[in-house]
Amino acid sequence: MTGAQMMEAASEGRLLMLDVRPGVAYARGHAAHSVSVPFAQRGWAAPVKNWLDRQGAMPVVLLADNAVVGAAARGALQEVGIEPEAVWDGGPQAWRESGLSLVSVPDITADQLAGELADWTVIDVREPYEWRSGVIPGAKTIPLNQVPGQLGSLSPVGRYALVCAHGNRSQSAAAFLADRGFQVANVRGGMALWLAGRHPTVPAGQA
Amino acid sequence: MFWQVLRDPALGCSSYLLGDEVEGSAMVVDALGALGAEAYVLAAQEAGLAIRWVVETHVHADHASAAQALAAAMQVPVTLSHRANASFPTAAVRDGDEIRWGSLEVTVWETPGHTPDSISLVVRDTERGRDPWVVLTGDSLFVGDVGRPDLGDAAPEQIRAAALDQFHSVRRFLGLPDFTEVHPAHYGSSPCGGLFMSKKPSSTVGYERRFNRMLDIAEAEQFVDQQLALLKPPPEDAERLRQENLGAPASERIPASAPGLPLSPLSPLFPVSSRPPQGGVVS
Repeated sequence: MTGAQMMEAASEGRLLMLDVRPGVAYARGHAAHSVSVPFAQRGWAAPVKNWLDRQGAMPVVLLADNAVVGAAARGALQEVGIEPEAVWDGGPQAWRESGLSLVSVPDITADQLAGELADWTVIDVREPYEWRSGVIPGAKTIPLNQVPGQLGSLSPVGRYALVCAHGNRSQSAAAFLADRGFQVANVRGGMALWLAGRHPTVPAGQA
Repeated sequence: MFWQVLRDPALGCSSYLLGDEVEGSAMVVDALGALGAEAYVLAAQEAGLAIRWVVETHVHADHASAAQALAAAMQVPVTLSHRANASFPTAAVRDGDEIRWGSLEVTVWETPGHTPDSISLVVRDTERGRDPWVVLTGDSLFVGDVGRPDLGDAAPEQIRAAALDQFHSVRRFLGLPDFTEVHPAHYGSSPCGGLFMSKKPSSTVGYERRFNRMLDIAEAEQFVDQQLALLKPPPEDAERLRQENLGAPASERIPASAPGLPLSPLSPLFPVSSRPPQGGVVS
């Protein structure tokens, strides 16, 4: 199957592309319509299988950027009874050459965001118990798992800076929004680097 | 900073995986053949990191390195001293070279002595400050001891010169702040160290300043004499391991020595090579 055929099948819900690389690599550049499920040696396959089962029976293609992780992820899925259709372990450059189109999530540093705060709508995807640290002035708070349900409240012409504690969850949210055509950036290092840079915060209720 | 130590207790070897999680990249230092390249790729993946640098502090003569296999798997060169003569793709580094990514800054120090190509890595986390946090000393400075000078070259006069290099190299570490953590490539009864080496795998510059007997010796000639007097027998198959770790084709390598060599009465677990210790005996 060519990359173009694979993308078409994935966009029509006839195939699943699972990107098993670390989240940072996924944000930097991933195949359009692929899903990020960073491989881990323990406890990875079972939740992935549960999720795959809910999607209905369809072929699965694994995307990796080295043969070691590609083979390990394939082996872990085989152990729970899933036989991947293929493993593409050549990384983004090779995928592009094979006809997959790439999507990337731009980063914005805390310092840069602080300097152009008026140009951005900040979305803080942390959970309510994390708001004690304060939030970036003007930020909307939408806990990560509520982001899909809030798409209707976002503007197609808005610019959204996604933030969480360290930049991992916000990266998933940013990739999710980027795949749906929104203009987004992920705040590098999250609130940890925002606070380390001594940028202002306000109590969550007053944002 | 992400920091993970991967060890092989059988040979007293330590290797290091350090990375910046925001940037998503990592460096592996002294990857061990005993653990295999895959162990490093998977440990990095687990931490959300991709390995971008595979560094050897020197060409090892006591154990097989996984650096070539790891570098090939990640499609990067092996970072080595410009003084090493490897036959695989390398990125040569010199004293003062810096490797920076995310908030990490790694400065190369050439610290010859154990071997001419020995380097040490001074690590800073610039998010926290400019002071060095960690120094990876390879086989230059150990906990309580220094690396032996006789595994790089064979001729006795070269060993004396190497021991003199080692004197200057290890004293350079004393210029670092006392709180700097010292993380060597070996600990315990590794054949690369001398009699004073600790079984504790890491310490600080302050600890070494206070307790390392080799650093007590302020006079170069005395340091050299002491090093040569305390030499242990070289590790079994040292030259073959060196050739392998330099990437020599199999046909040009020295064959592995036959099993069943006599054991030393002094250290019964350590097989004695047919080659006598150079430069002196244990006094």
